Amino acid sequence: MKLASFLSIVLMTGFLLVAVMRLHPVGQATGDPDVFSDRGNVIIDVQNVATMDDYFLRNGQMETGSNNIVTSVVFDYRAFDTLGEAAVLFIVVTSITMLLYGLIKPGETPDDVIIAADGFPLKISRIVTIGALLLFPVIAAFGAYIIIHGHLSPGGGFQGGAILGTGTALLLASSYMTKKLYKTYKTFAFFESFGLTLFIGLGFAGVGGSFLYNFLANGDPLLFGRVIEMGPNGGFLNSGGILPLLSLAVGIEVFSGISIILIMLNKALYLNKSQKSEG
Amino acid sequence: MLKSLETVRGSTRRVIGNKEGQVNNMSLSTIIIILCVIGLITAVIALLQRDLLASVIGFAVFGLVQTALFYLLDAPDVAIAEASIGAALTVCIFVIAIRMTRRREE
Repeated sequence: MKLASFLSIVLMTGFLLVAVMRLHPVGQATGDPDVFSDRGNVIIDVQNVATMDDYFLRNGQMETGSNNIVTSVVFDYRAFDTLGEAAVLFIVVTSITMLLYGLIKPGETPDDVIIAADGFPLKISRIVTIGALLLFPVIAAFGAYIIIHGHLSPGGGFQGGAILGTGTALLLASSYMTKKLYKTYKTFAFFESFGLTLFIGLGFAGVGGSFLYNFLANGDPLLFGRVIEMGPNGGFLNSGGILPLLSLAVGIEVFSGISIILIMLNKALYLNKSQKSEG
Repeated sequence: MLKSLETVRGSTRRVIGNKEGQVNNMSLSTIIIILCVIGLITAVIALLQRDLLASVIGFAVFGLVQTALFYLLDAPDVAIAEASIGAALTVCIFVIAIRMTRRREE
């Protein structure tokens, strides 16, 4: 058994090293290194395309109106895959809620005093609470920025939602959110479903082309359809078609899902501690 | 057009066919190797430590090192995800689990 695990580790390392040897140069297409040369006004250029990532590098910006090629792949070319990821997170949150549902009851207002492991009540230090109060707006603003600018700068729905989720963790750890936990949970549960429904609804809205077709790109500037120039530029918020909307939907869903998980675990922790102190 | 790319991405990033860029490439690979060694050390600490809280903190440092590596390898999207999930949320959930069970491994 030990030999088998050792052999599998060696094999896996070998595969990874071979994969690293065969990588592209960083940030460069395979054929002509100058991606932006001599295109004229052609939106989709398939002349010099050899592989799939060549196509994304050469045409992603013009076709989807998104400066961030990674977001254009995640939310446009591979949007169905992203729908699967969002659904996986939804299922995880659902199963955790199924396991721990009885813990949070309506109308219950738990104490904001944590019982320590040895049975004495533990008041949270003022340094922690005030520090959390000062840090939370910064984290919330950064997460919202990452979500909204997903099609212009690095980031997107998943990353921004996770950053907002760390804000929830901070509030729970400093016992700002322990009152009216049931109402908070219900709000997050609503927005969890709302985010996924928004994603699927946007997918069905473009069904004249295909499911999750980017029907808003390069159209009306009022509806995120601004046409952008090829090459490096500052970017505009109203470009990208349905990419910003999908990013927002995924951001809402991930933020609510992570918050629900953290609220449930936090509640279970409190109950566990108080039972230990009684027994 | 390559010139404009160079000004946008800043002088610390490499541009193919540029002597200065290759010098930067050398120092970049040195930083990457140093970060890999630190990551290896923290990963071994996280694996072998009997105190589970210390193990989790080693894991968090490993996530931080990985974040820096992803950023240096031109993958800022993955770096943000790793920083928020690997170094913050996973650690938070692990700490809750340790508080609900025991702190020391047997």
